[in-house]
Amino acid sequence: MSGLIENKKEGELDTQKNKFLTFLLGKESYGIEIKYVSEIIGMQEITHVPQLPDYVKGIINLRGKIIPVMDVRLRFKLKAKEYSDRTCIIIIEISDILIGLIVDSVSEVITIPEQNIQEPPQMSKNANNRYIKGIGKIGDSVKLLLDCMKLISDEDFNTISKQYK
Amino acid sequence: MKTVLIVDDAAFMRVTLKTLLERNNFKVSGEAVNGIEGIKKYIEVKPDIVTMDITMPEMDGVTALKEIIKINPNAKVIMISAMGQESMVKEAVLSGAVGFLVKPFKEEAVIKSLENL
Amino acid sequence: MFEVFIYETNQLLEQLEQIIIKSENSNFYSSNDIDEVFRIMHTIKGSSAMMEYSSISALSHSVEDLFCFIREANPSLVNFSQLTDLVLKSADFIKAEIGKIQDGGKTDTDSNFLIDEINAFLENLKKNSSCVLSNSAGPRVNFYGTEKGNLEEVNAKKTYKAVLCFEDDCKMENIRAIAVIQNIKDYAAEIFYSPSNINDDNESAEIIRIDGFKIYFKTDCNIDTVRDILSQTIFLKSLSLDELDSDDEIAEIKNCGCINSKPSINKNIQLKSKSINQKMISVNISKLDSLMDLVGELVISESMLTNNLNLQGRQLDYFNKAARQHRKIINTLQDIVMSIRMVSLSATFQKMNRIVRDAGKALNKNIRLVTVGEDTEVDKNIVEHISDPLMHIIRNAADHGIETVQERVHKNKEETGTITLEAKKSGGDVLIIVRDDGRGLDKNKILQKAKKNGLLKKPESSLTDREIYSFIYLPGFSTCEKVSEFSGRGVGMDVVIKNIGKIGGSVNVDSVAGEGTVVTIKIPLTLAIMNGMIVKVGSSTYTIPIVNIVESFIRREEDIITDPDGNELILIRGECYPVLRLYKHFGVETKKQSVSEGIIMMVENEDKRMCILVDELIGEQQVVVKALPYYIKNFKYAKGIEGCTLLSDGSISLILDVSELLNSYNGREMTACQA
Repeated sequence: MSGLIENKKEGELDTQKNKFLTFLLGKESYGIEIKYVSEIIGMQEITHVPQLPDYVKGIINLRGKIIPVMDVRLRFKLKAKEYSDRTCIIIIEISDILIGLIVDSVSEVITIPEQNIQEPPQMSKNANNRYIKGIGKIGDSVKLLLDCMKLISDEDFNTISKQYK
Repeated sequence: MKTVLIVDDAAFMRVTLKTLLERNNFKVSGEAVNGIEGIKKYIEVKPDIVTMDITMPEMDGVTALKEIIKINPNAKVIMISAMGQESMVKEAVLSGAVGFLVKPFKEEAVIKSLENL
Repeated sequence: MFEVFIYETNQLLEQLEQIIIKSENSNFYSSNDIDEVFRIMHTIKGSSAMMEYSSISALSHSVEDLFCFIREANPSLVNFSQLTDLVLKSADFIKAEIGKIQDGGKTDTDSNFLIDEINAFLENLKKNSSCVLSNSAGPRVNFYGTEKGNLEEVNAKKTYKAVLCFEDDCKMENIRAIAVIQNIKDYAAEIFYSPSNINDDNESAEIIRIDGFKIYFKTDCNIDTVRDILSQTIFLKSLSLDELDSDDEIAEIKNCGCINSKPSINKNIQLKSKSINQKMISVNISKLDSLMDLVGELVISESMLTNNLNLQGRQLDYFNKAARQHRKIINTLQDIVMSIRMVSLSATFQKMNRIVRDAGKALNKNIRLVTVGEDTEVDKNIVEHISDPLMHIIRNAADHGIETVQERVHKNKEETGTITLEAKKSGGDVLIIVRDDGRGLDKNKILQKAKKNGLLKKPESSLTDREIYSFIYLPGFSTCEKVSEFSGRGVGMDVVIKNIGKIGGSVNVDSVAGEGTVVTIKIPLTLAIMNGMIVKVGSSTYTIPIVNIVESFIRREEDIITDPDGNELILIRGECYPVLRLYKHFGVETKKQSVSEGIIMMVENEDKRMCILVDELIGEQQVVVKALPYYIKNFKYAKGIEGCTLLSDGSISLILDVSELLNSYNGREMTACQA
């Protein structure tokens, strides 16, 4: 697997440009830059680690690797939804951290040209759109593009930036 | 902690020296792959000690040494040489190198000598 | 590093081949190409010599020589096709050797046949070449005077005689001698030296190697300055420096022109080169880590296999026999992998000599370091983490522990303070003990300070000495009024605890006022694999390290006593122990909430014990300890989790950190192990 990631980093950066994996949370469609995506797996048995924030569901065993998983719904303070066959875990790798994102379902990989991506509107301070780094338009539909770094760096801890810079 | 600039075109030698130095409380403040880059880096990072390979592309170590000595007459430059380079080494020593190592060298010996500088 | 060598050498060989083939095609070696080949061979020679691959370095050396000659002499008659053949043959030879090295083999192949061929070719070239190489050796210089070299004008007062010996194996002694002369000529006048012919190569180098390099010179500098200057010579093994009373000796030399002690070399006593073939290879630690991981996985998959549900209830005599054999092999494999990762503490201890020396100098105290048991081996990962904490502790001992010379004399102690650094094995742990014979810790001062800073969480009278001493490891704590720039103000001591906690260790402090302090660090031999008891609470499984388990038993709910603070206690054989209901502590749902339905495990760490209530015991298993992901560690999750492990069914079990549980139960955060 590490080999796969290596390859991605070296050769495919250009082809990965402006490509997004889209997934659903409720009605909303979100996009995540494909370069961060390491793989997509179905729902797994999650080992709960006591006293973590509710959106960090625990850890999973992915071929011997221990990977934390986050429920993106809860992260966005949306209502929890029971996991189903369609529930997926998107494993992303960002600054050497592997983390699984639990989403309602995964849709497709799309290309959104630069000119179709807008800055997110500056809403009220507490709005969840601080995790959104852009809004992509494909025809009539709108994809909310996630800022992965913000998603995993957290107000609940402050050591992460120190450790990973 | 003494800072060291490593000038060597061979990545292997750079890694070897770097590991060796860092293991022994030296700080490697820069690395350069030829003489010209070495001089630039020297001005930039102002290291306490420079280890300078002799045979390098673009500009050889002895020429670079002479330039560095012009910039700072008290610069501590140690030449990294191999058997068969006697005349180059001699030239370096007469041009102001504080000393030289002959490949292959032993860790203790290198550290002992650098610590005395 | 090994990889870098292989990679770079292969690349260079490729480059070399390209140049050679290009040149052969055009039947012409440009001076650029010759330079390039020379440089490539030179680099390979240096690197392979460093890696102790003598056959490669010898061969590349001879090719380098050949191209050196071609470059300098520019001979007109070179048989290009023969040259190309030779270089390609050499390149092939090196490539084959590299291949062998890569496959973990030895490079015992003799390259002499090629070297002879190259030398013959070179000799031939030299003979045919009309160009005579000019002897680059300059005129013999054995005297440096003052500017004009005028003896009469010298008014330097002192005459010194210095004998310098260089490290064995430092090579090119004669040029080192030139460097020495170069160094002192700015300070000294009238320099004479022996052997005098240091501009010539081999002979003088040999003499210096055996007899040392003798210099006579005059200077205004005092003996210490001179010693300092000469001591800076790199690769200096020994230096003897004497001030001469009269100029007699020097005059004598002057009369002779120079002294040139006849080479007293007996070729027979030439030192045999100490090329004890090191049967060592350096391996990337990450490879070892993944090997370790894999062995761990293997252990798990083995138990998955033998405990497979499909096998249950069947008569499997042959299978069981095979499985036993299989397990035996895996266990051996595991032991070997573990032993590969073990390294001795000697390098770490060695580093401390420097720390003590520097500390003594900076603080103007006389301190010596005594090391004991530095051969003790621990896991490589642990060695990496122990160095910094040790440094802090030793600095602290030097700064706050050891007294000044006057103070020590006043107290009737030996002038020189001693710090003893000891390592020893004790069961599954390694103890590292730092002992100083300094002033010891002042209990009252620590207590007062702790009170002032609001660190006291228990009644003063119930604190043990150890507990009081351990206050010094809390953040920002220092009893020293003066901030010394050296060990600072308590900063760092909390880091000590943190770093040692990270590798599963603990720190204890004992002290006797006036006599000294003993800091004991207890660290596990290895981090990676341990024996654990798998227990179940609700639907979760937890692993308790076997080393912490004292016993397990079943009790009734009525045996539980609740004290006024709501803490639950249990009386066992007349002793009272706190009870921790794991489901409550971790907030896990379970039906077995009553003591009588579950099992009580008594656990201990150091001298503290407690009882943990779990639902049921699953069994003992060897587990591979894995750290929780960094992302998780960034949160303040529940106290008492050390890491996690994979069970035979692929599920994850959290490993309990008993020492943390004990501490969190006592409402203190002494060992501050939280991430």
